[in-house]
Amino acid sequence: MENKDELIKIFSRKIREILANASLNFDKVQEIRLRVQAPLLLVMDNREYYVTENGRLSSQRKEAYVVSQEELKETMEHISRHSLYAFEEEVKQGFLTIQGGHRIGLAGKAILDERGIRTIKYISFLNIRLAHQIIGCADRIMPYLYENKEVLHTLIISPPRCGKTTLLRDVIRQLSNGVGSQKGVNVGVVDERSEIGACFHGAPQNDLGIRTDILDCCPKAKGMMMMIRTMSPRVIAVDEVGSREDLDAMEYVMNCGCKLVATVHGNSVEDMLQKPVLQRLIQEKRFERYILLDNQKEIGHLGGIFDSRGTCLCG
Amino acid sequence: MWMKAVGSLLVTFSCGALGAWKAGQWKEHRKMLEQLRKMILLLKGEILYAHSPLEEALEQAGRKSEGVLASFFIQVASRIQDREGEVFFELWKEEIQNHKRNFLFTEKECAELKAFGEHLGYLDLDMQERTIALYLEQLDLSIDYYRSHEQEQTKLFTSLGVMGGLFLSIILC
Repeated sequence: MENKDELIKIFSRKIREILANASLNFDKVQEIRLRVQAPLLLVMDNREYYVTENGRLSSQRKEAYVVSQEELKETMEHISRHSLYAFEEEVKQGFLTIQGGHRIGLAGKAILDERGIRTIKYISFLNIRLAHQIIGCADRIMPYLYENKEVLHTLIISPPRCGKTTLLRDVIRQLSNGVGSQKGVNVGVVDERSEIGACFHGAPQNDLGIRTDILDCCPKAKGMMMMIRTMSPRVIAVDEVGSREDLDAMEYVMNCGCKLVATVHGNSVEDMLQKPVLQRLIQEKRFERYILLDNQKEIGHLGGIFDSRGTCLCG
Repeated sequence: MWMKAVGSLLVTFSCGALGAWKAGQWKEHRKMLEQLRKMILLLKGEILYAHSPLEEALEQAGRKSEGVLASFFIQVASRIQDREGEVFFELWKEEIQNHKRNFLFTEKECAELKAFGEHLGYLDLDMQERTIALYLEQLDLSIDYYRSHEQEQTKLFTSLGVMGGLFLSIILC
């Protein structure tokens, strides 16, 4: 990871000292979990470790460093860059994305008002999910995403933590730059959570290709419409679709002659048929390719590539 | 005899200049408070309308102004960016301390500026709005005071300077 030093600056002084002492390969770290009065935990290569006070990884709970409420508060202050107000909307949704595209999940006491969740206070549980850019991770699937030199409507299906955003990022990059004899096309990315492009002050920090336009922090449904009207993309890419508004916008995209590449949480195409929102699009065979990911052998393991009828093409 | 006359003139002139300088300081003080008010309004715009985090808001407000206050805002922004682990209020106080000798503010005004930083960035946008509004009110009171007393103080300092100079000349002669 290029910005390890930047990443550990989001923690309280004590925890950053512990992580700085740890001889960790941050490229392999998936999650760091902080819970009040609970051990500091780290997930690496799909295995969970306790982190000791001197930065060693251990499997013994009694050796683990215990995180205090004060440290969580201090960490939150650094995560929000001393400006929690600037992340009000994100906090309401229970997460925020920091420089580098890393997603911080938060939990605590929800404060409600007549419109729903107003904010979360006493934030006592943090899950720092590290984003990894793996250039070339989509090489194997790219040939299946084209037919007669046209990009196909594609849905990437994967359970959480199996690398769907990482895969989507590389698919976008390759569609935008062009692959082999396939020419690059204009790609419009609606990056609601700033995870795909990890834009900082408007500039993407991940390589999404030379023909990619990014609408950062914009709700997917509105963003897809805006992109089509303003940037004339050939392909629209979005992460984690699921709401009714998303479905309407996806239909609009497909009916406009644009191609759609999207990701969704799930384990199989059959799973998708249980989701009321996506069910209809699948039954109508609107998606021409399904990419299934799992973590049976490793993170981002390709479970299979299917066409619109569910025929397995690879995997 | 002419030496005494020249000396008296010099003393009177120096004391007069000192009085004029003091009167000028009063004006400069008022101008600095007005500039701070303008910068706080810029900060308010960045925070409330652009939802910019403090480092961006302070930097933008600093870049649109000049002088010691601009460098103070930019320095605070740069220290937030460095993320050395301090809480915001700590570094805000430290930077006020570092810039204090270049500010023309009184102890009370410095204390108000420090207190303003205590709640900046805390909680939601409503809280930011209220914190900024409160500080703007305090600034308005100070500016009004300096403005309403400006004429009288300018006259007072200038006359005191000249009179003091004359008095010293008489004593010395």
